[in-house]
Amino acid sequence: MAAPNKILPGFAASLWMQSAASPTPLTTANLSVWTAQVATIVGTAANGTGAAGTQLNVEAIPAFGQDDAVASFSVAGQRQSDKIPTQAAPTSMTITSAWNPSDAALLQIRSDAYSGTVDRTFVVAAADGATTIAYAFNGRVGEFKIDAQPGAEAKAVFTIHPRGGQYGWSNT
Amino acid sequence: MNLTDAIEALTTTYRALDDVAKSLPVDANEVAAALAKATPDTAEHVALQALAKFNPVVKPTKTKQVEVKD
Repeated sequence: MAAPNKILPGFAASLWMQSAASPTPLTTANLSVWTAQVATIVGTAANGTGAAGTQLNVEAIPAFGQDDAVASFSVAGQRQSDKIPTQAAPTSMTITSAWNPSDAALLQIRSDAYSGTVDRTFVVAAADGATTIAYAFNGRVGEFKIDAQPGAEAKAVFTIHPRGGQYGWSNT
Repeated sequence: MNLTDAIEALTTTYRALDDVAKSLPVDANEVAAALAKATPDTAEHVALQALAKFNPVVKPTKTKQVEVKD
């Protein structure tokens, strides 16, 4: 896939997702297409149109990408062994939000977690003024819990598991 | 394979594009011509880029003929 053709000297990152209860996730090719595809999920605050998306209000955007996976080999008598990279899984994204039981996006995430089978397109948008670089991926929600400790505001913690190979970069 | 069918397969799949593209036998020159005409930021353009990666146009190189002397 093509790399973004923009450089942002500074940006604000935000997380967006398809808003429908049973969405049709973007195909792998469309995950790399901003116009009329990724832009419909990203809201106007990050230069999208937002017609089919909603923002997830998260404390921070977690690391995303690919985990490490290796097969280790060793030969008796040799000082050094060998690590061969193997099929690595996408990095799971564990995210913390302030728990708001009226937030439609968080309720949708909770519903997805209960189901476990809803594929949804998520977008990490890095916006700098009029320019946005988007990392779009399809994923499922695998964890949802509410941490309601008395000493702090209640938190919703959930994990998105990106589907293997289903991601794309695009930009305005 | 027909280029139109290959593009259709790539734009509708949920598999990794590289995995699909490497299994689609298409004409490299046809891919290059279509890629030159395709509109950027479209699914078709993304599909053609994936196909072009595995079907590069190979230009024939000119080499001097070697005379074999007995």
